Amino acid sequence: MSQVKLSLQNALLTLEQLQQTPSREDGITEEQEDHLRQLGCHLIQHAGILLKLPQVAMATGQILFQRFFYQASLRKFAVRDISMGSVFLAAKVEECPIRFLDLVNVFDHLIKKFHRQPLDPMPAYQQTFYTLKDATVVAEMQILKKLSFNVHVQTPYAIMINYLKVLELMDHPIIPQLAWSYLNDGLRTSIYICYQPPTIACSVIWLAAMKENVALPTSPAWWEVLDAKLEDIENIAGHITSLYHRPLPISTLPLTIEQVEPYLRGELNKNASNGSPAAAATASLPSTSIKGTRVSRFS
Amino acid sequence: MERYQSLEKIGEGTYATVFKGKNRSNGDAVALKEIRLDSEEGAPSTAIREISLMKELRHPNIVRLHDVIHTENKLTLVFEYMDQDLKKYMDQHGNRGALGPIVIKAFMYQLLKGVAFCHDNRVLHRDLKPQNLLINRKGELKLGDFGLARAFGIPVNTFSNEVVTLWYRAPDVLLGSKTYSTSIDIWSAGCIMAEMYLGKPLFAGSNNQDELLKIFKVMGTPTEETWPGVTKLSEYRKDFPYYPPKPLSTVVPMIDTFGMDLLMQMLIYQPQRRITAKDALNHVYFNDIRGYANLQQQQQQQQAAAAAAQVQMGGGGGVPNGQMMGQPSQQQQAVPLSSNTAPPQQIVYQQQQPQQPMAPQHPPLPYQVVQMQQQQIMQQQQQQQQQQQPQHQMPPQSYSQQQQPMHQQY
Repeated sequence: MSQVKLSLQNALLTLEQLQQTPSREDGITEEQEDHLRQLGCHLIQHAGILLKLPQVAMATGQILFQRFFYQASLRKFAVRDISMGSVFLAAKVEECPIRFLDLVNVFDHLIKKFHRQPLDPMPAYQQTFYTLKDATVVAEMQILKKLSFNVHVQTPYAIMINYLKVLELMDHPIIPQLAWSYLNDGLRTSIYICYQPPTIACSVIWLAAMKENVALPTSPAWWEVLDAKLEDIENIAGHITSLYHRPLPISTLPLTIEQVEPYLRGELNKNASNGSPAAAATASLPSTSIKGTRVSRFS
Repeated sequence: MERYQSLEKIGEGTYATVFKGKNRSNGDAVALKEIRLDSEEGAPSTAIREISLMKELRHPNIVRLHDVIHTENKLTLVFEYMDQDLKKYMDQHGNRGALGPIVIKAFMYQLLKGVAFCHDNRVLHRDLKPQNLLINRKGELKLGDFGLARAFGIPVNTFSNEVVTLWYRAPDVLLGSKTYSTSIDIWSAGCIMAEMYLGKPLFAGSNNQDELLKIFKVMGTPTEETWPGVTKLSEYRKDFPYYPPKPLSTVVPMIDTFGMDLLMQMLIYQPQRRITAKDALNHVYFNDIRGYANLQQQQQQQQAAAAAAQVQMGGGGGVPNGQMMGQPSQQQQAVPLSSNTAPPQQIVYQQQQPQQPMAPQHPPLPYQVVQMQQQQIMQQQQQQQQQQQPQHQMPPQSYSQQQQPMHQQY
């Protein structure tokens, strides 16, 4: 563990690490891995909203979740457990700790919702509670170990607000909220693992301004002044926008380790996935529901 | 755990027990901090913070975390072994707890170096106190305990921890400020500096309110004039008793002029006006230490440059460094400062010599202290500028250079 090279900046991955993930080596396809990563992030974001956590804590949780699965295979660790562990750990790291009971209740609720089960409240201190609680404790330690305690995460939210002020966009009716939502949705992609926060902040502003047809200074180009490269900006923007073209068939995805093998054989919840992908998507919209402009990827 | 052998118990805190241990492979002494894992809370957040930060903070004045070992129900942190903490050191070596001025200066310099490094890396220690400053036999001081473990012998009950920490807590934090920053560590460092001279804590309050009153009795009750914005802090009360400020030199009379100026700058009410760790290190108080440190640094650089030149020239690698000192002109190009390394340091030191004894002989009034201090600083700056124009930039430059090899080393 002590050999791992660390810095207080966000750890970025090499191309090989990105392409050859432990899950890919374990026989999981790129699409399956992408779906499962999105599912975990979806869970974390929505749990965070229900737990009234600050967005920075949800972002930290999702980045920890993403980082974890560059160190471990989705065949060996369940999306449900690791996303619970990520929320629990992120809340500690960001100094807004949560109670087990609340965490477990929220996850139980979300899972029932995903599988279109009746939303009965979880019986207090019964088997489900203890199963989920123990899974969280184990998952938290797994995350700490796999990431060798490198759990400090820098997020681009504050940086983006500063950039918006510099560009005099803070009073724009749509751009700040739109850019903020792009940051949230971008957590489901690999951009936080591939780029440093300032570059990501530039990219979401670029994307939001383009969508709103707002012209920004070009000579010199504003992103150059903020030390970002256009190539990186476009790449990040591409990752984010591609999310909205890939529907996530939530009810067909495995949450526990027992469901993984049937899923990989294509046998999990076959009935639910029979229809079009849009019919299979049951969960609520992603975080991006903006005044007037609805950016939905479950169209 | 096979790699480390646990020997005697040296401390116990609320969430951890510390043992002295030994690395089986090389026999090095280590400190093993065992953290019990609680199934109710998962990993303690103090442990998470401590490990994630300390693994990354590698500096000669920060206790090194070698390893983390996870077993069934506990987490063991393996630290470099330090002989004792500053509190015990003061009890053992001090005159009723008070240390000599030279030792204090050496400790303060190291303390501030560690703090400056933390702050450079955007880490706040938030819990500086003599019990968390560890000393080894070489006289090195290192910041430790980035979580919360307490030395053996301090009574452990639910309030004690709070009380111990309270004495070093900055007034803005005591008054309810939530936007504190690096300045809170500087206040603690100031309290520790005074404590080393006094042999007892400077502000030993028994609770939040009492701590504030202890501070007010010395520094004066803050007002909008002396601390703009103080009345807006959440814990500020209009009915605080009014105390006029007392000259710090009457509270800590044994401190010299330069030291007093530094202490006063560390204990400024307004957090944003408190001196930074970096500026404190460049304070006149440390001139003699810094001169010595720079000298060493430059010698090292010189040797390194000489060795590099030697390699470029294709010279034998095994030649001792000492022999290269007066070698070809190449190395002087590489390190322009090297030709006049020693003289400027001596001059700086001599300039200071006549000024220093002034403090004990004529205890000045507080306003005089400030005036004298400013005059002295200005004089010195002028002298330096006039006499040694080319060398004037050396101290800051060397200081920044000093950091570079450190990063490269690790």
